Amino acid sequence: MKTLNILLIEDDMIEVMKLNRTISSLKLNHKIIEANNGEDALKILEQKDVLPDIILLDLNMPKINGIEFLGILKNDDTLKYIPTIILTTSNNQKDLLECYKIGVAGYVLKPLKYEDYVAKIEKLLAYWSINELIKA
Amino acid sequence: MSQEQVEILQRALTREKNARKAAEKILEEKSRELYFTSQKLENLLDEKSSELQGVFENIVDAYVVIDLNGNILKFNEAATKLFGYDIDREEVKIAKLIYKDDFQYAVDCFNNLQTTGFFKDYETRVYTKSKEVKWVHVNGSVVFDKNNKPIAAQGIVRDITEERASAERLIESENRLSTLILNLDSGIVLEDENRNIVLTNNKFCELFKINAQPADLHGKDCVTSAEQNKVLFKDPEGFLKRMSEIDDAKELVIGDELEMIDGTILERNYMPITIGEKSKGFLWTFTDVTLKRTYRKSLEAQKQKYYSIIANMHLGLVEVNTNDEILMINQSFSEMSGYSEEELLGKRGGEIFPVEGGSEIISIENEKRKKGESNSYEIKVNTKQGDIRYWLISGAPNYDINGNVVGSIGVHLDITELKALELQKEKLLLKLEKSNDELQEYAHIVSHDLKSPLRSIDALVSWLKEDNKGILDETSLKNFGLIEATLEKMEQLISDVLEYSSVGTDTNLKAEVDLNKMFSDLTTILYIPEHITVKALNQLPVITGDATKLQQLFQNLISNAVKFIDKEVGLVIIDFEDLKSHYKFSIKDNGIGIDKQFHDKIFKIFHALNKSKDSTGIGLSIVKKIVDLHEGQIWLESEPNVGTTFYFTLKK
Repeated sequence: MKTLNILLIEDDMIEVMKLNRTISSLKLNHKIIEANNGEDALKILEQKDVLPDIILLDLNMPKINGIEFLGILKNDDTLKYIPTIILTTSNNQKDLLECYKIGVAGYVLKPLKYEDYVAKIEKLLAYWSINELIKA
Repeated sequence: MSQEQVEILQRALTREKNARKAAEKILEEKSRELYFTSQKLENLLDEKSSELQGVFENIVDAYVVIDLNGNILKFNEAATKLFGYDIDREEVKIAKLIYKDDFQYAVDCFNNLQTTGFFKDYETRVYTKSKEVKWVHVNGSVVFDKNNKPIAAQGIVRDITEERASAERLIESENRLSTLILNLDSGIVLEDENRNIVLTNNKFCELFKINAQPADLHGKDCVTSAEQNKVLFKDPEGFLKRMSEIDDAKELVIGDELEMIDGTILERNYMPITIGEKSKGFLWTFTDVTLKRTYRKSLEAQKQKYYSIIANMHLGLVEVNTNDEILMINQSFSEMSGYSEEELLGKRGGEIFPVEGGSEIISIENEKRKKGESNSYEIKVNTKQGDIRYWLISGAPNYDINGNVVGSIGVHLDITELKALELQKEKLLLKLEKSNDELQEYAHIVSHDLKSPLRSIDALVSWLKEDNKGILDETSLKNFGLIEATLEKMEQLISDVLEYSSVGTDTNLKAEVDLNKMFSDLTTILYIPEHITVKALNQLPVITGDATKLQQLFQNLISNAVKFIDKEVGLVIIDFEDLKSHYKFSIKDNGIGIDKQFHDKIFKIFHALNKSKDSTGIGLSIVKKIVDLHEGQIWLESEPNVGTTFYFTLKK
């Protein structure tokens, strides 16, 4: 199992806590880079020598929202190769279509119950741990 | 005898001798004279007889001489030609020449000849040698010898076949003409200078109700007759007055109209007939034109009717020729456009009124009309006052009686108000669409924003539980459990509200939906306990609709049915019926049933009958909304404790 560098773009503090707590409770060694919004994330991604392996992206964010951010990402010749998984509450059909149209590696709905969340994240990370990824 | 005596005697003798000589000489002279005279006479006779001979031989008419037994003695050239016989070579009897029907007449004639010595103007038919029948005119007389004894008969025969034929033709055509006049469809009266009837016909008697034969009217006085007939007319004195006026003028009058008291309308013409300088009388003709007039009257009435419709209708009417030049407008169009008829006549409508490309529309549409198409179109126009108006124009080609397009007639309706409403509607629709979209977005965002805190609370509660394992007492744990249940309920409520608000949108997703596939998908998605069977009685149809929403419809109803089954063996049966335009579905369960008083209420939002953990009261409202979207209806039959059947229809 690979150790992943995960860029979590999420404005909700508790959501960030949830992911951190999930990884530690699952005793995984993935490294989490936090960005509170799209702008911050872009700044982080500017340093192309330390690019994340995958990006977990929330859609409803202030300033640059998730879909806008996704667009910027996919227009970048380097960044477009980073698998981006949407992690959102929105089951809006329009959002789903739009995201897959622009190009996402997955679309995961945040469940209400924390246990369900843990289960989903475990599977998600397990899946990406066994994937071959393009290293920058 | 004395010398004297002798001398006397001798002198007397000499005298006598001389006298005799003189007489002889005279005689001789006379006799010579006589001789010459007789010679002359003889010559003259010869001349005359040869002259006569020539006359007979050469006269144009045939000359025939017969003996008293009827044998032909002599034919001149014309006779030979007429009869075809050469009497020098064959013997011909006159009897042979007579036409058999005229034989008795010939015999009578011959007898007449014998008694009186001649006959005249005998017309009869004869046979020629070639058996042709000819009409001849004969004048004949008896030939006597010097003792006054009849020895032969001679006749001049004239061929009158042609004459006779043309006379017959003339009679025939006269007959025809008189029959024609007699039976003419117009009544006629021909009167002479003294206004006496010369000729009239049946139709005249009929029209003037005269109970007599036309021939009986001959010679009657027209003035008296008119005095008697005037009662037939609505204006008797006028009838007489006009008649005498015409008679005084003696000039051609055409087309006078007379109205009779029985409603008949007569057309009267008057014609002096003159041949050369000579007056041949005056011809009155009377024609019954009642039908024609009433026809024309009703035509006139119709025309008047349509004219007033056109004049008074609230539609603008414009007639143009093939060059789009205005020929006629009605009052309404004048009001609509602000122009008077005089200002528009001869102008091109397509150039005066339109704005914003209207001229092109008009010329395109005009072309279509020339091809005989009717059409209607809208244009934006400028009135004389400069107002912008919208007109709906419905045009049709105008034909002449030969079927050629000579222009078109356009009916104009001012639809400005309508157009304004339409534009307003379009704007509103756009706005509505936008606000719908916004609302949809809003609902999603709100639901996201509402759900996020719930998720956070849930995470925090679960961490509290986790971090305080073994420390928390039963009650606290139970309360945490209640918090979690409440959170779930809240989450469900938000989801349902979002779903309900989404049902009305995106209705354009129409597709063929195989309900069998959908049903088998549903049975795997839905939680169905062991003791409950859900089945479709028949193969379900394929219908057109929104796949997601149809699934939601069935899902909500089936899960409802499953949810409220209280029996040990649960049964949910799905069936359908093919109605004409719709399918009628039924979903029947043997659950707890629904009291009649709630049957209407349950489809209203937030009317959950059983407040429970997994019931928000929105499910059936969504169902109703989806059925509405598919132009159907939903209702139910239920008996408490026995079961419920939901029925709904979906348009095919």
